[in-house]
Amino acid sequence: MKSEELRVKSDEWEIGGKTLKSRMLIGSALYPSPANMEEAIKESEAEIVTVALRRQSAGEGGGNNFWEIIKELNINVLPNTAGCHSAKEAITTAQMAREVFETNWIKLEVIGDQYNLQPDPFETVKAAEILVKEGFEVFPYTTDDLVVAKRLADVGCKILMPWGSPIGSGQGLMNPSNLKAIRKQFPELKLIVDAGIGKPSDAVEAMQLGYDGILLNSAIALAQDPVKMAKAFKYATIAGRLGYEAGTMQKREFASPSTPTVGTPFWHQFS
Amino acid sequence: MIKVSVNGEIKELQEGLNVSQMIEALNYKTKGFAVAINTTFVPIAKYEETIIKDGDTIDILAPVQGG
Repeated sequence: MKSEELRVKSDEWEIGGKTLKSRMLIGSALYPSPANMEEAIKESEAEIVTVALRRQSAGEGGGNNFWEIIKELNINVLPNTAGCHSAKEAITTAQMAREVFETNWIKLEVIGDQYNLQPDPFETVKAAEILVKEGFEVFPYTTDDLVVAKRLADVGCKILMPWGSPIGSGQGLMNPSNLKAIRKQFPELKLIVDAGIGKPSDAVEAMQLGYDGILLNSAIALAQDPVKMAKAFKYATIAGRLGYEAGTMQKREFASPSTPTVGTPFWHQFS
Repeated sequence: MIKVSVNGEIKELQEGLNVSQMIEALNYKTKGFAVAINTTFVPIAKYEETIIKDGDTIDILAPVQGG
């Protein structure tokens, strides 16, 4: 396993102007404790961690303890616009995040439905267009709709993050054929499966589709042992990528023996 | 005095304060947050020249965990 890991790690890739080795993006929420979060992120070897902005209470530390831990990890920070319901809210949040986190990266999330937290495609595209013009590297969270993906690409997004299934549901990839179609139509874009990944095999599946990476949070943070699960996802991401690069065999309708038939013992021709 | 909403709570402030003075008056920390007034971002460079008005809704945001 160690040699495999090293080989994959030499396979660097580029996203948002950065060269990375890990293809896994990890969230920082929902862990049993800050120490557990820190350990899980380290174990995952992820090089991008998602963070958010929320109202600060006067006179308090206001989340700075959390932010100190993240800063010490010395990895790339991807702020999100979680909780925004309009392009205007998302744009303002992105601008605030750029100042606080000192990055032009933004995970654009504009929620259109409270029940399944489905992104609002119209507001997402509207916000993406303005943010790209303002110099942001936009990581838009979107559904697996091909036309929405096209609109986001049209307004200048170089990265797309279609969902596997609704946020925090752990249902895995609901519609692999749609995800496949997006991959096929946009070979030049960086594609990340964001949301819905529940178990390591979901990560393998996403990577085998040729996606450039996966973004997950709940699947690790809500596992019985988040640190061990972070490790499992690290290997799953590597395995899926290797599987994609190696090229899987064609499926066959019928069985086909793998052991040679020539020289099979106990078979004799009498007539 | 004027009334403003800060992070969802009604506060009374002296009239004519700029953003820096408001932050000090409300006892917010001086670093690691960003400010929006009436859903519009106010960058640090504009703190001195931006005067808080009666009825303004102010959001002061800081880093937290996110997915």
